[in-house]
Amino acid sequence: MICTGSLADLKALPYVEGTLPASEVEQFEEHFFDCPACLVRLQAIQAVGRELARNPVASRREPEPRIRLGWPTWLWTAGAIAAVLLVCVFTYESLEARLAKPTVAQGPPKSIPQMQTAAQPAQPTATPVRISQLADMTLPVYSLPNLRGESLDAHFEAGMKEYAAGNCRGAIKALAMVPGESSEGRVAEFYSGACQRRMGNLASASQLLRKVADAGDSPQQEAALYSLAQIALTDNDPVTAHRYLLRTISLRGDLEQRARGQERRLTELIAQDKEAKGKNPEAK
Amino acid sequence: MGHGNYMSGEHRAEVEGIAVEKAPEDEQLVLAIASGDREAEGAFVLQYLPKVRAMLLARTRNPDLAADLQQDVMIEAICALRRGQVRDVAKLSSFVLGIARNILNSHFQSAVRRPATLEFPNELPDLATAIDSMVEQQEQSLVQRAISTLDTVDQSILQLTLVEGLKPGVIAQQLRLSPEVVRQKKVRATRKVVNLILKLSQNNSTTHFSERIVR
Repeated sequence: MICTGSLADLKALPYVEGTLPASEVEQFEEHFFDCPACLVRLQAIQAVGRELARNPVASRREPEPRIRLGWPTWLWTAGAIAAVLLVCVFTYESLEARLAKPTVAQGPPKSIPQMQTAAQPAQPTATPVRISQLADMTLPVYSLPNLRGESLDAHFEAGMKEYAAGNCRGAIKALAMVPGESSEGRVAEFYSGACQRRMGNLASASQLLRKVADAGDSPQQEAALYSLAQIALTDNDPVTAHRYLLRTISLRGDLEQRARGQERRLTELIAQDKEAKGKNPEAK
Repeated sequence: MGHGNYMSGEHRAEVEGIAVEKAPEDEQLVLAIASGDREAEGAFVLQYLPKVRAMLLARTRNPDLAADLQQDVMIEAICALRRGQVRDVAKLSSFVLGIARNILNSHFQSAVRRPATLEFPNELPDLATAIDSMVEQQEQSLVQRAISTLDTVDQSILQLTLVEGLKPGVIAQQLRLSPEVVRQKKVRATRKVVNLILKLSQNNSTTHFSERIVR
């Protein structure tokens, strides 16, 4: 079997930190003594530690010194409030002026087509449809490591091959055989959840992904939270979607920007929906 | 017998397709050292010192202590090999690892670093030459480059973790982040910096991070 360092990717940092369980410490030591790929990764982490000890990072986020200009704090606060009020007044006035402009040359205002007359049947608001359209249906990317044999569970490996080939049914079947307590157990749950979502089994998907998201720090946690947000969007549940998007954003990871974009659009849609309901109470 | 005969890790992977299986050159090393081949001892040190050092450094988190103990481990291993005490020649790695663990345990249990039974044989291979200063300098500049690609917060998280040994909760307080964010950032920053070091070292075959040298 050829190890490409996947085991070190999982265990070298906790090993160096001293947080790897004792049984796994011995296993990992046996492994890296015979695995050049894992040894170099371990050495690289240790070298980073040595280098940071030699040249510590200077700019830590210490509390910034206050700039004292001699003005009392209340004066700064009052000034800030006054500035905000000024901006609000100015924005309101400019909006009012724009709305008051004659629209003769422009044709009917854009809002008219959305308004419903009493003669027309009250159509349900379009927001739920549009919220579900926000959902990102792509499967999370998984690249198969070249690690085979002892270090990877055989069912996991088989399942992920099916997953990489786009066969969700086959992936779920194989991944279900991965022991939950193995190092791949959580990863298997995540990708099973992703497959269940793809197949439209939202309840099963939510259950699996919630386990991963609630289990705490893991490489899959962020993607699990993001996927849960997508499930809520598909389910036209903006509140839950919003909550999971905020949790995704709070992790500041690879999916932060995507989650931010969705959260912004979701907020806009909710606001539009409220506005539409305000204008047409029958649509509620 | 030259070092090249014992250092063919790539050859091992190609021929057997098994990087984690016991290498045939381990067997050759054991037999050669038992028959009094001093070059084989040098090759043994080059092959096992990095592994022992990595292990001791991780376990002790004290570079000076790790450096002292690694000497003891190598001396004890070479003495045992000279006496032909390795029963299963295919398990040289486990044998060396066992010695390292014993020495580490006896250090922590008795607080006496060097066991009384440890021999000091003549003509030991020069352990210092296994760590070339030029290679270390290159390694250092390579690691510096890799670290500089991380943002300041990630650098701080790695420093507080790897140097100061702080837990994510404590780091989170210091950096005004949530512990979850610290954990995620730590894992990502480590992966990023390690991958970059390995990538940079591919262009620089003299550093320790080149797998060819390590084996």
